[in-house]
Amino acid sequence: MLSDSRRSFARPVACALVLAIAASHAPELAAAGNDADAGTWRMIVMTGPAQIAVAPPASTSSADYQAELTALKAAQGRLTRAQQRAIDYWGRGGVVCWNEIMLEMVARADLPPPPNADGTYSAPDANNPFAEPQFPFGNPPYAARAYSYVSVAQFDALKAAWYFKYLYNRPSPSDVDGGVRALLPTNGLPAYPSEAAVLSGVTAELLKLLFPTNVEEITRKAAEQREAALLSGRATASDLAAGLALGNAVAALFTARAASDGMRTAAGSPALFASLAAAATARGEVPWHSLESPPRPPMLAAFGNVRAWMMTPADILNERPPAPPSTSSALMAREVEEVRNAVRKPTREQIALVYKWSDGVSTPTPPGHWNMIAAPHIAAGGFSEVRTARAFALLNMTMHDAAVGCWDAKFAYYNPRPSQMDPRIRTIIGLPNFPSYTSGHSTFSAAAAEVLSYLFPAAAPEFQALRDEAAISRLYGGIHYRSDIEVGKEHGSRIGGYTVSFARTDGADLPH
Amino acid sequence: MFSPRANRRAWVLVSMAVALTVVRPGSARAQTIDDGVMMARGELFTGAIYTHDQWNQYWEGGLKRDNGNIGTLTTQSNTVVGVFGVTNRLNLLSNVPYIWTEASRGVLHGMNGVQDLSIAAKYSLLERQESPVGALRLIGVFAAAFPLTDYTPDFQPLSIGSASTRLSWRGTASMQGRDGTFVDASGAFTWRSNVTLDRPYYFTEDQLHMTDEVSMPPVLDVGVMGGFRGPRLMAAATVGVQHMSSGGDIRRQDAPFVSNRMNALRVGGVVMYPLPKLDPLAVRVSYAYTVTGRNVGQANTVSFGLVYRFYLLGRPTP
Repeated sequence: MLSDSRRSFARPVACALVLAIAASHAPELAAAGNDADAGTWRMIVMTGPAQIAVAPPASTSSADYQAELTALKAAQGRLTRAQQRAIDYWGRGGVVCWNEIMLEMVARADLPPPPNADGTYSAPDANNPFAEPQFPFGNPPYAARAYSYVSVAQFDALKAAWYFKYLYNRPSPSDVDGGVRALLPTNGLPAYPSEAAVLSGVTAELLKLLFPTNVEEITRKAAEQREAALLSGRATASDLAAGLALGNAVAALFTARAASDGMRTAAGSPALFASLAAAATARGEVPWHSLESPPRPPMLAAFGNVRAWMMTPADILNERPPAPPSTSSALMAREVEEVRNAVRKPTREQIALVYKWSDGVSTPTPPGHWNMIAAPHIAAGGFSEVRTARAFALLNMTMHDAAVGCWDAKFAYYNPRPSQMDPRIRTIIGLPNFPSYTSGHSTFSAAAAEVLSYLFPAAAPEFQALRDEAAISRLYGGIHYRSDIEVGKEHGSRIGGYTVSFARTDGADLPH
Repeated sequence: MFSPRANRRAWVLVSMAVALTVVRPGSARAQTIDDGVMMARGELFTGAIYTHDQWNQYWEGGLKRDNGNIGTLTTQSNTVVGVFGVTNRLNLLSNVPYIWTEASRGVLHGMNGVQDLSIAAKYSLLERQESPVGALRLIGVFAAAFPLTDYTPDFQPLSIGSASTRLSWRGTASMQGRDGTFVDASGAFTWRSNVTLDRPYYFTEDQLHMTDEVSMPPVLDVGVMGGFRGPRLMAAATVGVQHMSSGGDIRRQDAPFVSNRMNALRVGGVVMYPLPKLDPLAVRVSYAYTVTGRNVGQANTVSFGLVYRFYLLGRPTP
């Protein structure tokens, strides 16, 4: 579970604001707020909103439906305190809740395998996830990909759900029968298929794939989400069943994509590492090597070949930054010296930035950090569930693409870290075990800031300031040169542009 | 922050200045927060203590291991101590350490700085000079510690401390035989304030906490010290247990975290003896070894101090 002392007071303020607006403009905003046209928004992986068929629901006057209402009312009559808590919890929105659950799963998984007695490292095994070291190692590229799969699948699944909701227009149970209590605010959203059940299905299936050791928690949460939707008066058993089936079917499409997106071979091999080092040497450069003891294979050396969302493999190559300063150049010598001076006498403010942005082991990683930055803005937007999913999907797609682009550059150049160039450089955070150029934090943060600035233009200066501090914190920490940071930021901004281009034309932001 | 030399030199000078502010000599008994000794009214006990603490194995939860990216972790400190007898039954104690850390392997930077100011009031609750076993004394101590500098607690095990304000209650029972043998038993409960990190979230005890505030488990300390305590020489064996009943374990291959459950059993000894011709300038040497623990290093800890005891207000008439 998440403990959240800060958001707990921000949320009522945001809700009060939304309620105040709703009270003054209720009729106009109700329709726009539900995004009734979301079934027409452009899909990302699905071929169209009706790719997966959802059968028409039974009439609300049918005996079957009436029996569902009777069962629902009986269940509401037996409501336990735990069930009421679950209704309040999931009532904040399924996408937001699952995002928080996932941040925690990433942090839980974010531990590198320990060394074996013989100085080797065992790789986590997706086919035997509970064996030590457990699968996965939720490192930044793995996490970026995981966040994006869940967010994009949720977004496509909800667009499909919206299409059928407004195709069939079955009202919510509390609108059909005054005897059904509405335990969450009514919003006029058609109930069939249930968006909560769609989310429970699509999210649970993907999380079980991505974080299999959490299967028990995932299954329990998904069931709780569906039960809360029912007990709140928003869905009957058939609304849930149709939603769950749709969610599971969408998850299967994404599972198939994940099986062939290049992740299986992203770890690379000793032969690959040797060839990358030899290529750097042949170019006259000092090749990267691990400074861990015992030396550890570099993190996901072939992640640059993993399929991106908004960029083709050609786009990834075209956007690859130019080569870093040569390891034998005067510029490199100056940049090494700058890092050495930075760690020698950091100010307290610099140290604070280093730890604020450390995002190292046991954290949701930099992409997770940006999800946390985005969450309050998304909550304050008063978005529908499908528009909430869109915001997280856009953000997480660009950060996955940033991971692919950044890892492509890192392993193309195989550039050494500052402490390798000058052993006197001691770092004030853990040294990431992969090549230096370009900075992952800078690339992730610039891509995220680009997309969030598009979604929330009023907060753009805040996102850009956060991007800049995340980026420079890596120099203060002693783990990146200035070139890594500046080039990484430019690269990330360009990568963010691909997702912004999609967002401008996906149909969600056209004037109503 | 990262210039240990200059700061160390400053502390040595301060310590020497304190030691040289001699008015009138007193006797050379120890005085620590957990022993059974009280200063007389007007007596001041002061000194400087250097401590060297080193480990190359630690317990990751319950698993004892070494770490090639740490090698040997060394924590050194120079501490200025002072104890003053307000009355024969009430003493005030204070100390401030300057600490510096370093790892022998890997690339991690050591940290250094002035750590926490500790102050304590030590009150003799009960005294029986003529009991069958000798002198008996019961002592109560209230102590507080405050971070003096804004050091980070988020770089364990290289951080110089936990950056937590601490309040503790301690009770000590002391038996001092006429032949000089003694046993002091002491126990303390320490409450620790929340720690504020520079980052907005952290993961511990299997939960992601979306806040920068970390709640710190309280600490129970129990220790026994026994040996000989005469007018000049003090020599004793020590055994101590530090226990927390909550706080998270270091996960496999994780970094330590400030609120980890840090338990330890330590054994050791302490000797204090006045320097010939320089009495009551005394040397105090202590040693402790961590026999077993949880989320702590298996440390060898040596400290060497020069302490001085004198009457600030003039020797009281008997």
